[in-house]
Amino acid sequence: MSFSLTQILFFIVAYLTALFAVAHLADRGILPRRITSHPAVYVLSLGVYAGAMASNGVMGLAFSNGYGYMLYYLGAVLLFILAPLLLLPLLRLCRVYQLASLADVLAFRFRSPWVGGAITVAMCLTLLPLLGLQIQAVSEAIHILGGPHGVENHGPHRHNQLALLFCLIITVFSILFGTRHRTTQQRNTGLVTAIAFESLVKLVALLTLMLAAIFQVFGGPAGLEQWLLANPEFSAQLQTPTSGNEARVLLLVFFAGAVCMPHLFHMAFAENTESRDLHTATWGLPLYLLLISLPVMPVTWAALSLGHGGSMEFSGLAVGMALHSTTISAAAFIAGLSAASATIIVTTLALANMCLNHLVLPFRLPQADPEQSLYSQLKWGRRTLIGVLILAGYGFYTSLSGGHSLTQLALVAFSGTLQFLPGVIATTYWRGANRAGLLAGLGGGLLVWVLTLLLPLTGEYDPLQLNALCANLSGIHDSPWAAATSVSFFVNVALFVLGSLLSPVSKAEQVAAEICSMDARTRPTRQTLPVPRASHFSERLAPALGASTATSEVNLALQELQFSPDEARPYALRRLRARIEANLAGLLGPAVAYRIIERCLPYQQGLHGETDDIHLIERNLDRAQRRFTGLAADLDNLRRHHRKTLDNLPIGVCSVGADGELLMWNRAMQDITGIPPDQVLGSLLSSTPMPWGDILHTFGEGSANTVLKTEVVVENGPSRWISLHKTVTGEGDGGDTIILVEDTTDYELLEAELLHNERLASIGRLAAGVAHEIGNPVTGIACLAQNLEYETDPDEIRHMAQDILNQTSRVTRIVESLMNFSHTGAGAGEVELAPANVADCVDEAVHLLTLDREAKPVRFSNQCDRELLVLADTQRLLQVFINLLGNARDACAEDGEVRINARAWDQEVQIDVEDTGCGIPPELQSQVFEPFFTTKDPGAGTGLGLALVYSIMEDMQGKVQLTSPVSDGPHPGTRVSLHLPRTSYGPAFQV
Amino acid sequence: MYINRTLLLLLGVLVIFLPALADWLTGSPTAWYRPYQAWLVVVVAAWWNQRSRYPDEL
Repeated sequence: MSFSLTQILFFIVAYLTALFAVAHLADRGILPRRITSHPAVYVLSLGVYAGAMASNGVMGLAFSNGYGYMLYYLGAVLLFILAPLLLLPLLRLCRVYQLASLADVLAFRFRSPWVGGAITVAMCLTLLPLLGLQIQAVSEAIHILGGPHGVENHGPHRHNQLALLFCLIITVFSILFGTRHRTTQQRNTGLVTAIAFESLVKLVALLTLMLAAIFQVFGGPAGLEQWLLANPEFSAQLQTPTSGNEARVLLLVFFAGAVCMPHLFHMAFAENTESRDLHTATWGLPLYLLLISLPVMPVTWAALSLGHGGSMEFSGLAVGMALHSTTISAAAFIAGLSAASATIIVTTLALANMCLNHLVLPFRLPQADPEQSLYSQLKWGRRTLIGVLILAGYGFYTSLSGGHSLTQLALVAFSGTLQFLPGVIATTYWRGANRAGLLAGLGGGLLVWVLTLLLPLTGEYDPLQLNALCANLSGIHDSPWAAATSVSFFVNVALFVLGSLLSPVSKAEQVAAEICSMDARTRPTRQTLPVPRASHFSERLAPALGASTATSEVNLALQELQFSPDEARPYALRRLRARIEANLAGLLGPAVAYRIIERCLPYQQGLHGETDDIHLIERNLDRAQRRFTGLAADLDNLRRHHRKTLDNLPIGVCSVGADGELLMWNRAMQDITGIPPDQVLGSLLSSTPMPWGDILHTFGEGSANTVLKTEVVVENGPSRWISLHKTVTGEGDGGDTIILVEDTTDYELLEAELLHNERLASIGRLAAGVAHEIGNPVTGIACLAQNLEYETDPDEIRHMAQDILNQTSRVTRIVESLMNFSHTGAGAGEVELAPANVADCVDEAVHLLTLDREAKPVRFSNQCDRELLVLADTQRLLQVFINLLGNARDACAEDGEVRINARAWDQEVQIDVEDTGCGIPPELQSQVFEPFFTTKDPGAGTGLGLALVYSIMEDMQGKVQLTSPVSDGPHPGTRVSLHLPRTSYGPAFQV
Repeated sequence: MYINRTLLLLLGVLVIFLPALADWLTGSPTAWYRPYQAWLVVVVAAWWNQRSRYPDEL
């Protein structure tokens, strides 16, 4: 039974077309998203690990190594079960920094385009045997299916034409599959779904083979058991012990291959960003590999029982052809075809991206072309590279000397990828590693690998002496491959460690190592960008990316972060910069992205040094909280408790970094200012919405640590009063400033009301005196009017009229005084500072007080300079004098004296109100300015007089002091000193 | 560093019982599927271990 070549080629094209149709349906959304985004699809797509080695190679390995074939699967199983150790940190890095390949990760970690380039070249070299393996598996399968002599007579010679035909077909499909999206970081749903479909087809085909082997060949499981009992040599062969050393090396290379090989890396990290899916894969992939490995032994035994004498790697085809079953033969062929095509497609796609990002772009960035966007240029570059890589694989296949089994090719490829494992582990676990060590280790390990394993494949070189040396060095004498692999790995690790220890780690590497490190969270620092707002990013990036691409990338990053183009907060701008770098890393590779960003958007050298980025640290902690356990969880809870306490304080708290960036803005601040934290956190204090920005910035920059009262004029709203306090944490310029803001509006309103009430009370007290004072001139006027009625002498009439006018003037003056005093104005709380004559103000107060006829008769002595002016509110100063002189009068004995003096200094005037009363005991002096404190009899005083004096003096930026006793003797007296700014009538005041 | 305790325990148990496990795996010439039974136990343990994970812990 055989197939014609045309039939086989038609079969291949039909299968790949079906595959492409699946990808197309998934990409267009025709396949439901609940299917394409299901974790099972991701798990199945990881089945790309099981290439032609799984469909064919392991059967040969099982025949020669017994249960040792399981190590091929167990390496990957171990890696995924231990995902938290290696895969999750890598996924975190790849997701956050948009890294799509191992070269991206290592170039990012070691901050060197040379590392990316070296990894890419080494990866291409080590993957050549793997590509050759896939090509050989398919071409030999075609040859077996189409050959006249079937599976038994296929020789060791190459089937170059068949292989070339297959390569051309697969190149077309690889290009179609892999370059549908503009960046490697956009999830290629079609590719993932198609590879998952391939894995499913592969699994079904192999399970079909197993069922056919068990039921058609052996007649059922019991038949298989009987056959094994009847042929103990085969069951004994199953238990052929693989030596411990070789088994360990096998497990190591397959473990390394699972994490380092670009096709699995691409599917695991570039096409997935969800840790949920990776967690599913920790059991899903082991389950898949279990199922796909189940047929290995039954199919191999079936082929043996049917007398198959050829390569055991094609046992499936042998069973199908021996049973003359088209279905079984087709299933065997499909299993191999799907495994090989998936591996080739994903491997070349991943390698093409690596080559583009690390070999092409670092040395030649695409020029801004008006007719062709950057994305289009990159897509064509990727397509070309895919073709070149598949042809390189074909070239390697043709250069093989022949007679190499698929397993041999696979082991050489896996040994090569083992050389990347030290770099991968160091990325997350060794912050002291540097690029010199990595390159030295990689170079040394690869040199040994090339000399002992790769070159011998060509048949022109036999490293007998080297093999002997490796066997002696490693102590593995029964497997040259294991010995060479061990030595190459040892050389790699030794050079890596030595190189890293002997050469310095650069600053950039230290930062990257900190980011990649597993046991230390990133400690981002606050740095300043030379760009005022987000919309300016495009202009900065345009010279490197072209105007349209720059705009597109900036807009994409803004959209992802949900920022507006007017965003100006330094914190937001830093996040935007990081996001653009990450997106560019997905487009151009991390090395090129880093270079572009450093060139176009460099951080400014900080005036205040680098300080921790509190927002980012808190964000990281908030996002990671569920992973904390034990003491770390306690610390995190403590942090949250303190944060909550600060947030819920009834006093506004805002914290400002040394660079002026707002670090904290609690709930009370939001209540007081009406500005939510999200709007201002991370922005500069000075850019806070007015009027708060001005007030807080001025206070923060000023020398005073306390401002007891300041008025905040809010547009379209009533004024508010606040008190401000600040303290600086830390030392020097690097400390944060903590500002406390207390809303005293209610207190101020209450105080104004009290002031008004006190004034009314004073008026009430004065009312009787006023009435009496007005009564006298009114009586005089009445008498004069009566006399005037009978007076005929014109001179006398004129004289009496003048008297009446004098009396009315006196009444007017009394009424004016009272009006002046009682006048509250439209804005009761407003203080209008202007030049005020001290002596006149004292006279006015004295005059008002003398109206009170019931008060004690004391003598007021105004000794103030008549020309002395202070900066004050006249109305309020009058109230101060009324209160002080009234108190002084009450304190004096009858016929006592109250003296008012004023002394002028350069900037200040001191007004002393001194009485000859009994004085104030020292223990009471600290309380006299408190509201409602009085030593007078109940009903005689409200206790608000001196409190208002204090408050008014504060409002007028003055001070009040109390001295008692003033002198010795029976009347020690009290002196109240007022300090007010001195002023004069200048051009600023219109007098 | 956050290493899952269940996994550590599983690895420890595997190391301790490896000789006995190896004897059991290769004890019967016809029970070729025994390694797969052990493998299935590991898969179930891995499933058990990840089922209480939070949606996104990166």
